[in-house]
Order: sequence, then C-alpha cells, then structure tokens
Amino acid sequence: MKQEEALRMVNISKYFPGVKALDRVTFTVNQGEVHALVGENGAGKSTLMKILAGALQPDEGEIYLEGEKVFIPTPQSAWERGISIIYQELNLLPDLNVVQNIFLGREHRGRLRVLSYSTMIREAESLLARVGVGIAPQTMVRNLSVAQQQQVEIAKALSLNAKILVMDEPTASLSETEVEKLFGIIRDLKSKGVTIVYISHRLEEVFRIADRVTVLKDGKCIGTYSIGELDRDKLVKLMVGRSFSETFPEKAKETGPMVVEVRNLSVPRILKNVNFSVRAGEIVGFFGLVGSGRTDLAKALFGFYPHYSGEIVVKGKTVKLHSPQRAIAEGVGFAPEDRKSEGLCLGLSVKDNCVMAVLDEMRSTFFLNRRRETGLVQKFVADLRIKTPHFYQRVQNLSGGNQQKVVLAKWLATRPDFLIFDEPTRGIDVGAKQEIYHLMRQLASQGKAILMISSELPEVIGMSDRIYVMHDGAIVREFGWGERVDEERIMYFAAGLHVER
Amino acid sequence: MLVALFVVAGIVSPIFYRPQNIFNVLQQASALGVVSVGQTLVILSGGIDLSIASIMATSCVFAAALMAGKNSMVIPITLFCLAIGALAGFLNGIITTRRNAPPFIVTLGTALIFQGIRFVYTKGAPFGSIPSWLRFLGRGGIGFVPASVIIFLFLALVMEAILQRSAYGRKIYAVGDNKVAALYSGINVPNIILSVYALSGIFAAFGGLVLAGYLGFGDNWAGKGYELDAIAAVVVGGTSLAGGEGGMGGTVVGVLLITILSNIVLLAGLPYQFQQIVKGLVVAAAVIFYSFVKVSGERR
Repeated sequence: MKQEEALRMVNISKYFPGVKALDRVTFTVNQGEVHALVGENGAGKSTLMKILAGALQPDEGEIYLEGEKVFIPTPQSAWERGISIIYQELNLLPDLNVVQNIFLGREHRGRLRVLSYSTMIREAESLLARVGVGIAPQTMVRNLSVAQQQQVEIAKALSLNAKILVMDEPTASLSETEVEKLFGIIRDLKSKGVTIVYISHRLEEVFRIADRVTVLKDGKCIGTYSIGELDRDKLVKLMVGRSFSETFPEKAKETGPMVVEVRNLSVPRILKNVNFSVRAGEIVGFFGLVGSGRTDLAKALFGFYPHYSGEIVVKGKTVKLHSPQRAIAEGVGFAPEDRKSEGLCLGLSVKDNCVMAVLDEMRSTFFLNRRRETGLVQKFVADLRIKTPHFYQRVQNLSGGNQQKVVLAKWLATRPDFLIFDEPTRGIDVGAKQEIYHLMRQLASQGKAILMISSELPEVIGMSDRIYVMHDGAIVREFGWGERVDEERIMYFAAGLHVER
Repeated sequence: MLVALFVVAGIVSPIFYRPQNIFNVLQQASALGVVSVGQTLVILSGGIDLSIASIMATSCVFAAALMAGKNSMVIPITLFCLAIGALAGFLNGIITTRRNAPPFIVTLGTALIFQGIRFVYTKGAPFGSIPSWLRFLGRGGIGFVPASVIIFLFLALVMEAILQRSAYGRKIYAVGDNKVAALYSGINVPNIILSVYALSGIFAAFGGLVLAGYLGFGDNWAGKGYELDAIAAVVVGGTSLAGGEGGMGGTVVGVLLITILSNIVLLAGLPYQFQQIVKGLVVAAAVIFYSFVKVSGERR
C-alpha cells in the first residue's frame, strides 16, 4: 500500500540572532502515521513545529499539505488547515469548564446570537467519546488531572477537524497508567486517519508508538527511519553521537560519615514517620508515584514545613529547619522539580542566578565585591561546562540542560554538605542528562551527600547507591547496598501492592 | 529621545530655553522624581504603590501644621514625617505580604485611610505655614540648579548603586522576577517586599516635604495624581510592570520626559487639560515601544 503524503516541509531554515536554529530541514509525514520527532534540546524540534503551527515564519523553505503548497502566516490559518498542536504546557483556562474550553472563541450560537449551550454540551460529549474518555463536560478544568486536561485538548483538536495533530512531550507529567491510556487514544486516532507527530525525550515510548522517526541534531535533519530499522542504541547514537551503554556513571565504592539522619519525621496529613539517612559520598534515590510525598519530604528538609515533628540531624547535630534560610545555613541545597518556576529567575542573568543564594557572602562592606562574584561565576561556568555566550545572558535563553547546571551552580556556591535533587533530568535531552549524572556522581565522590528524587525508574536504579521507596507519605521499603533491584520490585512497593496482601 | 524633546520644545516655544523656565521644569520634576524613585523599587519587586500621593499630601499637611513656620522645627518634623511615611509603607507591606493581598487594592485602600486621617486632623482646612528652610528645599537653588533636583538626582544615584551593587538590590530584582525561585534560593521574600513598601512610603513622605517647600503651605491635595504620574514615569523609563527588570536611570529620564512634556503643552498655550492627553499618549507610546523591544529580545 502506497501511503499518501500528509505533510512535507522542504528545506526549512530559520535564523535567530547569532544562531541558526534550523538549517535546510526537510520533514515528511505520511497520512495516518505516528511520526516521532526526536533530538536533543536545542536540536530545533520546537522551532520546526512552531513554524508548522504558524507561530513562527521560516526564513527559507516551503510547506506542502497533501501536495499543495501553503503559507501558514498565523496559528488561526494552521487550525483552518487542520493542524493542531498540543504543547507541553497545556493551554486551557482553568476557571472555565470543559465545554467552554473546547469551544473557546468558536461558541455555537442559536437565534439572537445567544449561546446554545445544549448543542455545545452534546457535541463536547461526542468529541470526548471519540477520544474515549468519560469526563463530564461541565467540569471545571481546574479540577481535572493533567492527563484529563490533555484529553480535553485532544478533544478540542478534534473539534477543529485536526488532520495533523502534533504532541509536544505529551507524557512528561503523566503516570504509567495515564501513558497507557494516551497510547490507546493515539492508536485510536490513527485508525481514524489522523496523522500524529509525536515529540518525546522518552525513547522507549517512541519505539512503542511510532511508525517512523525523524532525528534532528543541531538544527539539521539527520534522517528519517522506519521504526523497524532502529534499536535504542542506534537511535541514541543518531541523536547524540554517543553510545547508550555509558549512560550511568559507576557507583560509589565507599562512603564517608553520616551527613543527614532523619528520625520519625512527620508533617500532619503529608508525611508519616519518615526515617532515613544519607552518608557522605553516596547518592540515595527516592522513588514514589505522584502523591507519595517524595517532593514534600524534600520541602520539609528545606524548611518549607516549619511545624514538622521528629528529628533532623545534620552532621551529628540536631537542627531545626524552620525556613529555607535556616536550611541553607545548615548546609542543605535543593534543586527543585520545576526548574523554570521554582529553580531559576528566568529573566535574570546567568551570573545573577549563580550568586543568588550567596548574595550576602559576596559583600565587602555594604556593596557586592564584583571580582569575587565574577570569579565565582567563572569557576562554575567552567567547572560545569555551562554553555552561555557570556555571564550576562538571560537564563531563559539557555537550553534545559544548561539551565539545570545554573541551578546546580547556585547550590554549589553555598558549599553544601547535603544536596537534594528533585527530578534532576526532567525535560533535559540525552546528552545533557549524562553530564548531569556525571556531575552528581562527581559531587558525591567529593564527599557530598546526595538525595535524588526521580520518577524515572531506570534513572533511580542506574544512579542510586541505595533506594527508598515511598508510598502515601511514608517510606515503605529500602533497597540497601548491593541489594538486587529491578523496576518491577520497586514499582510493586511504590504502588502499595505490599499492603493489600 | 530626551534630546529630541529638547529640540521640539525649543521649536514650540523659545521660552523653553530661558534659564528661568529650565529652572522651573527641574523644580517641578523633583517632587515627582523623589516619589518615582520609591515607586521604581516597588515595581521592580513586582508590586505597585497607589498610596504615594496620599502619603505626600499627608506629609505636606503635617509639615505645615507642626512646623508652623519655625525653622527650629524643620529637622524634627521632617524626621517625624518620614517616620509617618515609613509606617504607612510598612502597613502596605504588612497587608500585602501577610495576607498575600494584591498590592493594587491594598494601596488603593490605605490611600483612602491616610487621606481620611489627614482630613480628620485638619478638619478639611489645613493650617500652619512652611518655614524658610523647607522653602529653600522646594524653591531655592544653587545658580541654575534647584536644590530639590540635586536631592532627587542624589537619591536616584544612591538607590541605583544599591540596586546594582548591593545584595539587597539584587534580591529586589530576584523577588520581582520570580518570587518562588527567590524563596527557594533562601531569600526572605516577605522582608524584601515589606522593605520596598516602607522605602516607598519614606520617599513619598519626603516628596511631600519637597512639594510643601515648593507650594509654601499645607495642601490637602498636594501631589494629587502623582501616584499615576510616578507609575507613568517608571514605565516610560523602561521598568517592567511585571517586575525584575529596569532601573533608576530610566526612571530619571521618564520623570524629566513627563515634566518637560507638560511644560511644552503649557508653553504652547494649550489648556491644562491637554497635559493629560499628552501624558497618556507618551505612556501608550512607551508601552508599544517596549513591547517591540521585548519581542525582538525574546526571538533569540
């Protein structure tokens, strides 16, 4: 069967000041296929998709839809041509209900231009049924889970008669079961003839769902492959030019003295009797599903829950961590889960972000000592190999991996003994992930105690010397040194299956 | 931009270049300038202060009533007025941070409170007079340069140095850019916010004294409209209303721009009401201009 071409983007180039974001990229998608678009951050995936969506204009190149040459000057014209994009940050209005969101700006009207709600509700129901989900159409979007919001966005795309549906990192904040559900929806849409462009960092998903894969690297198209031609190693190699086996650095050989000991830590309704310890030189992994309390534990250790009960001992001394300031003073550093909203001041420079947690130490008399500041920033930019044109670059212009390194620099500047990493590699490309892993291991071998929270099992297993599994605000299992672990065993405890026995 | 305005001003009316006029323009710019310095701090931290005009008038009325024309009272009453300003700003800050209330509404409300206190105290008719020392602050000068403008520029310079070179200043930017990230970096966000409102209150009270010296009497409505003029000056100066971006240099230019424009309108013989139209146009033009700058900046 010869497949029809749904979309062909030919020799697309896009220049930004100082950067060639896309260099004569050609991208072809067949009718009714699931086509994965992969590449490291900064490879040009989002730029290419923004051009397709009409949010950016190419400097060179042509776009053909079903063989016909088109111009897409605005997002509206993309919708009219049946192109819909579901961005990673979902674009729904939280205080409107599902129906209002689906028909936003295109409300059905009856006589006298009055909104005809009943028609919209009926149509919304049938759209949601087509997606295969049972969401009540009058629910406020605020009350929906991320997965459900995504399903609403899919329904919205269907209401726009989307022929090409682009999904940018759709599984980034979904749980395992929700991912399964999403895949079901994707397969269903595919069978109904919708063409899907799937952007993801998670390669195992690409292998499960995609028919063909296009790899972008540094703004160039490396090639398009049908999924049968590839395996994981080969794909990673195409993306980064490295082999996959060197993903995780070697584990710790020996550990130093106890750095952090937590005894019976409880926060009402959030944490229940948490006991654990971290030694110098080791990386301790925390795994738990959403709602298990893993991030709350990190927050408690960083002084966000001043009314905790129990005992936190740092370097043999019982400390009261009642505020982030206190925690920092005791040598705790915390790289939070959401880099952009919690970790960084995106509008400020690399330098400002690097010194943010040590501003008071940078003073000589009243004013900041510029030489000391620059010295510090210079050191970290070099040590962590932060790629930035200069120190005064706004961090929002850096790639995800480099942003994460700036967060790391900010904490290393405080000379911490104990570092908490919450989802250290979320939304970071494969190459930068490895760098972060190596940096973490390097820090551990320099004698820092590291607590890593992650929801990616291979990462937890690959990085951690010991693993604690959390469920419902409590630690339910510890996997000690050298103990055999596999993904199933960890998941078994994280999902709370041991209780039901 | 400022240079162009000077040229236009000269074309509209040659009187503009007369030393006496320049002197007047600078003098008028000073009170607005002083309060705009405070407003800049608040806006940089991501807030807004609508109570400064009311604090100005309150400070002006108290100065006239309590100094009662006596030079010996200038220093103690000045300190008293600044303390009142600090207290007023502190109140703004406390409500904003403790209750996490939107500063727009909080300061709108406190403005009414300060106004009420002023009216109760004066029973609607301000009394007393301004002693000659304070008059010098508002009216006097060294050669062509008014005393008040020296003070305004000095304050702007000092605050700019603090903003750019001190830990405190950097924390203001951090809080304005992203409160959560600032909190996660161990910055005491509520204290920073509290302090900028207190400073804004002090600057407003001081602006009220400058205005009192200029007017020569206590006026219940001294500084009316300055809260919006100050916001306009800050915005025209390129400070983002979203916080975290901008500085004092821009504010100084913005203050001069707005004052000179008002002056040109007067010199051109147009009625006073035209000032508002012109001010409005300038703010709109500035917002449009910066939106372009911003877009081209983001497309990197």
